[in-house]
Amino acid sequence: MTGVISGSGQWAYVAAAYGLTALLTGIVLWTSWSAMKKAERRSDALRANNRRGETPRGDRK
Amino acid sequence: MHAYANPTRFLAIAKPLTPWLLGVGLLLLLVGGWAGLMLVPGEAKQGETARILYVHVPSAWLGMGGWTSLAIAGLVQLVWRHPLAGIAARAIAVPGMMFTALCLATGSIWGRPTWGTWWEWDGRMTSMLVLLFLYAGFIALTNGDEGQKQGGTLSRGAAIYALVGAINIPIINRSVVWWNSLHQGPSITLRGSSIDGALLWPLGLTVLGFSLLFGAIVLMRMRRIIADNRVAARLRRLADDEGN
Repeated sequence: MTGVISGSGQWAYVAAAYGLTALLTGIVLWTSWSAMKKAERRSDALRANNRRGETPRGDRK
Repeated sequence: MHAYANPTRFLAIAKPLTPWLLGVGLLLLLVGGWAGLMLVPGEAKQGETARILYVHVPSAWLGMGGWTSLAIAGLVQLVWRHPLAGIAARAIAVPGMMFTALCLATGSIWGRPTWGTWWEWDGRMTSMLVLLFLYAGFIALTNGDEGQKQGGTLSRGAAIYALVGAINIPIINRSVVWWNSLHQGPSITLRGSSIDGALLWPLGLTVLGFSLLFGAIVLMRMRRIIADNRVAARLRRLADDEGN
């Protein structure tokens, strides 16, 4: 068939598929993890400040 | 179900579960990926490109499974007004879209050496592309809508959109049966698999591994939304206290 690639030339396509999968999954995993950690730290800090009776000025909107 | 409507009760389960899903998921992926690349033989007709199966099939499964979960969450929000359902739907959207994009991209990379073309406007590929656009529409619809301002729930419109979009899932599933396609027919059905056992077992590992990873990502994103909601609620209380 026209354009069909066989033999060792196929490995480049396999590597591209695995590499893209690892890259995209890694990016979504990392951004989800870091955003969760940041949000939970902010929430915990605000709760701790509230308990001490402080008002975190930087968090005012 | 409503026993877990309380975010505190949900977090008591989600916090210890997240690293377990992540750890076991990554381990299964490493073993399955290694076996798929190094251990199993090349397929008789397609050669080495058949190894793309181990990342392409889990991506397709999670793209479609993600939208099915999203539609169920939309239904639960509409009917029972479960407060975590809307949060879950929002959390599913980005990883669901990512896996749908991966399915299209890895399928295209598989298609070039196998079919001699990157893309064909046939039923399977077109309906999968529609799913990608559905995810994009859902994310656009739920960013900054009324539901987001009310504790991360879904607006009525977004929940209905999720339900209507679910019509596309059986279309994707049956597309290779209904229409002529370059894409192969269903290889794994309830009646069994046409894939040889020697090539099949790493697929089980990568499907399970990616599914656990998907679960971990959804839990992380739900935890982020709940934490943001708590910050917003506390800031509102502080502002009210200062106003009085």
